[in-house]
Amino acid sequence: MTSASMTYRKPAARSVLAAVMLAALPSLAVAQMSHQHASEAACEETVLRCATKVTPAFGPDGTLWLTWMAGGQISVASSKDQGKSFSAPVQVTRERLNLDWGPDARPKLAIDAKGDIAVAFSIFRDQAFNGQVLTARSSDGGRSFDLPKPITSNNQSQRFEAIGFDPAGAVFAVWLDKRNRVPAQQRGEKYDGAGLFFASSKDGGATYSDPQLAADNTCECCRLALAFDGAGHPVVVFRNIFEGGVRDHAIVTFTGLATPGEIHRVSRDDWQIAACPHHGPSLTISAQGTYHVTWYTNGKARKGLFYARSRDGGKTFSDPLPIGRPNRSPSRPQIIAGPLGLAMVWKEFDGQKTSINLMTSHDDGATWSKPIDIADTADSSDHPLLVSDRRRTYLSWMTKADGYHFQAVEGEP
Amino acid sequence: MKCHLPAALVLLATLPSALAAADGAPKPFERGSWQKLLHAHAGHPTLVHFWGVTCGPCKVELPQLGQFMKDHPGIDVVTISADLVPNLPEATRSMLDHAGLASAENWIFGDGFAERLRFEIDPAWQGDIPRTMLIARDGTITTIEGSAEIADLSKWSDAQATAIR
Repeated sequence: MTSASMTYRKPAARSVLAAVMLAALPSLAVAQMSHQHASEAACEETVLRCATKVTPAFGPDGTLWLTWMAGGQISVASSKDQGKSFSAPVQVTRERLNLDWGPDARPKLAIDAKGDIAVAFSIFRDQAFNGQVLTARSSDGGRSFDLPKPITSNNQSQRFEAIGFDPAGAVFAVWLDKRNRVPAQQRGEKYDGAGLFFASSKDGGATYSDPQLAADNTCECCRLALAFDGAGHPVVVFRNIFEGGVRDHAIVTFTGLATPGEIHRVSRDDWQIAACPHHGPSLTISAQGTYHVTWYTNGKARKGLFYARSRDGGKTFSDPLPIGRPNRSPSRPQIIAGPLGLAMVWKEFDGQKTSINLMTSHDDGATWSKPIDIADTADSSDHPLLVSDRRRTYLSWMTKADGYHFQAVEGEP
Repeated sequence: MKCHLPAALVLLATLPSALAAADGAPKPFERGSWQKLLHAHAGHPTLVHFWGVTCGPCKVELPQLGQFMKDHPGIDVVTISADLVPNLPEATRSMLDHAGLASAENWIFGDGFAERLRFEIDPAWQGDIPRTMLIARDGTITTIEGSAEIADLSKWSDAQATAIR
């Protein structure tokens, strides 16, 4: 495979360069070398090819939209031919920012029925890596974006936002927020994790309501999963911190944009750990109303990737089904209910290359196909994501060595 | 290109680490670094701590580890920043300095293909940090996932001292 040979040649070339430079300018050479090797990006510009994180979404007219982070900026482009070609990128950010590069961070975008676009992303606002969630909207079909602005005036750390339009056209946003840490510490209490905060926007993301708390002391370093149920209510899956420091997953179904419902446990993995797993869940809700969740755990009860479904609005879940080959570090699960059924992808690593594995289900998650490899790469890569239009489901996957993949996954043998 | 590789490797193996040590910067942890590290510390009780600058629990644990190093001079203390970021070395170094770990053997992931680096260390490790590996004189590795209890580290350290007698 060409990418494998490239992977080996490149470091050798850089080593020679580094060695030559070492003779002349030692400290500069060391800085240069570590910079080039350490980067997850193929290049430093703002173009798609240089992106480390790429997020797709389809608009109601079937246009594919991408947002990505590259060269310290957030950009957006669209495709009318399922990813074969893209429009000239539009920059959402106006300057190079210290974007949140955490393993589970990425820019998000959502498109409403009129074709207006809401974008959200996080930056590190200070040297202590405190985060800030910024949002921007386009009300001219993605030709331009308002200047990104903070989703809240609060100055405590915020990260891992998720956004989506509800069927009525309001933007719902949910994120992890450390604002309750300071008052807790002032009371002399220990504060674990972060609060799950939410807000909504009735003007397409120009302004957001005052943030409210859905759950406090949740795990502070994993992405959130957001979907809307059949009634258009937001449903959020997050890694919670249960009694005793157990970082298992929980789910909340809102009864309105401002009203979180009861919190239920997705599974009892019993992962007691004071650490950042950097590994969040995925949620999709099928036409039948079934919640489908995938997640990673390293708990006492089970270890690895798992899938479970709920047919009672998240109150109870099926027994967790293990996903992937345990000896191949299965990671980064994604699930989607598409027009042809459910699809699930995840990464595996064999010591040399990362592969993307796919399973599908045509009976609402009761049975699943045998996993197949659908893509691979021999250098760093983004999480595999799934996105559906009215006809098919597609894999969206950014890789350093082989660029951006966008491929239909349904209809694979 | 290939014929230059051995020469480059020799330089890489010696010069950068020497230079890095001289100015206190963490050394780049690359493919093969783990085996070199194990080899270099073979026969010495070694504590290897994986952490990252954005990890909340790590910020709490790091100064405790600095104190542990001070209190246990017989243990080789190694830190490896397993976060990935452009411009990370400065922040990493600053946090290590504040935690009293400037004189530890400090590394920083120096390859964007973190999956591969982690696989070399422990194929089951998905990247959660902090994580501590205690390597006994005989090479036995005990892995502590999440924040370590300093009392547990001290107990392990004492056992290493007993084993020598």
